[in-house]
Amino acid sequence: MTSDEIPATGGAGPPEFDTSVAHQARMYDYLLGGKDNYAVDRAQAEIGLKIYPEFAFTARANRAFLGRAVRFLAGQAGLRQFLDIGTGIPTAGNTHQVAQAIAPESRVVYVDYDPVVLAHARALLTSTDAGATAYIDADLRDTGTILEQAGRLLDFTQPVAVTLVAILHAIPDADDPHAIVARVMDAVPSGSYLALSHLGRELLPPETLRQAEDLVRRSAVQQQFAYRSRDEVARFFTGLDLVEPGLVPVEDWRPEPGTADTGKSTLWCAVGRK
Amino acid sequence: MSSEGSDGEESDSGIPQAGGIILRMLLGTQLRRLREAAGVTPERAGYEIRASRSKISRMETGHVGFKARDITDLLILYGATDEQLRARLLAMAQQASRPDWWSQYGDILPGWFENYLGLESVSSTIRTFEMQFVHGLFQTQDYARAVTRLGHRSAPPSEIERRVWLRMKRQELLTRAAPPRIWSVMDEAVLRRPFGSPAVLRAQLHRLIEATALPHVTLQVVPFTSGGHAGASGSFTVLRFDEPDLPDVVYIEQLTGAVYLDQRLDVEHYLEVADQLGGEALTPIASRHFIEQVAKET
Repeated sequence: MTSDEIPATGGAGPPEFDTSVAHQARMYDYLLGGKDNYAVDRAQAEIGLKIYPEFAFTARANRAFLGRAVRFLAGQAGLRQFLDIGTGIPTAGNTHQVAQAIAPESRVVYVDYDPVVLAHARALLTSTDAGATAYIDADLRDTGTILEQAGRLLDFTQPVAVTLVAILHAIPDADDPHAIVARVMDAVPSGSYLALSHLGRELLPPETLRQAEDLVRRSAVQQQFAYRSRDEVARFFTGLDLVEPGLVPVEDWRPEPGTADTGKSTLWCAVGRK
Repeated sequence: MSSEGSDGEESDSGIPQAGGIILRMLLGTQLRRLREAAGVTPERAGYEIRASRSKISRMETGHVGFKARDITDLLILYGATDEQLRARLLAMAQQASRPDWWSQYGDILPGWFENYLGLESVSSTIRTFEMQFVHGLFQTQDYARAVTRLGHRSAPPSEIERRVWLRMKRQELLTRAAPPRIWSVMDEAVLRRPFGSPAVLRAQLHRLIEATALPHVTLQVVPFTSGGHAGASGSFTVLRFDEPDLPDVVYIEQLTGAVYLDQRLDVEHYLEVADQLGGEALTPIASRHFIEQVAKET
């Protein structure tokens, strides 16, 4: 096993270990049927489900998209290096497992800033002997730290697959998420890929969207949820070429035949090549 | 069929081959939830199956077996009409009547520990925090013998050997097909205290190092230098089951018995401590290096 933690050198104020406030990673775990969540996370997720029951499908569809995207990146695109920012609590089909099932030598760096994710990811996201994994405890906004530390495991002269799955909507406009993504993609060579999913304004009925945004404003969640338009999401891929089928809801990105779990998600997604 | 399920076989109902006690406890817990959700008193439930209030209580805590007819009658009373649920519960009741592999050790096994063996054998994840001893699943024979002697000073050698044998037999869990994931965090003191002798401890440390190579085993050490770690709670184990509606169970061993917690708020306190410990402990790789270093010094 060649997995280890890259020691953190501080970040932009990660969430405290606090089980009295709902955390996105733990709410997501709950929606996926996991048991690593606390009463406050479940309560908050249930309020969200009352407004829009499809949030449960959205969580599952997002996880399934991550799996298909990584299979594409490790398979058809032939990438062997992954930078998975916004890891979440490990569950079945984590990025390194999917990638290493195709190419055991794949190297995967995970990044998250949630203390519960830290405990689980450090312990459980361990690599095959042929490949390597590492975990960086850092905030996405702190791209300098992420890139510097990821550079200890990844070779930035070779293509890197950057995944930002269901995380950018936690970054408010004030923190300029487009600039953050641009800084990360500037650091990787051509032939690299960006795969992301993001809450989409057009994917909920207008009245539901208003209620959902109102809920986020009123409630005590560690992270915010910024619903962005299709155009705003497309702008993350400036300078990249989108692979087929382009920018679509997560369930429509190269769906695999025989998927029984169907529904309408609230997430845009795309995969683009530099 | 023993609960060890050495072939990892699953029954038709999708329930792992499991020990009777655990299945009775799980079944009882389900019945209690359904009864409470329906607002039915134990008296009323007892009346329905021509039994007493205390019989219902003993059923719900897994102390007695279940008749299929009683389960069917209770589910109707509770308004639980889901056919799949009924079939699952009946299958659990049927399996619960099979003997456990450890039943032949009944003379040396306190009931509270039999319960633990049952739970452990059907867990999908076992998370532990150890302050004093290496976890039983990783003990060498010599280490287990030294620890057992401490707890049973007046026991004859033959009894000590049976206890050690039982512990070794329990470790078959580690090598069966579809083993549970075991995530064990231990205080540095566990690596330092020489039960038996330094040689026994050294061999034990090498066993731990071997265990880190198992893909389903994660070992982490909280070194003395990590100040104020959350383990002020003492040693504990959290058992998790694959069934989505079964709660985690926290197991805390005491000198003369054990505490089982399955109320969500109680369990969450321990999960929180376990998560904090996981964050404060050395990474699995650094932990292995740490154990190797301690073994050299021992």
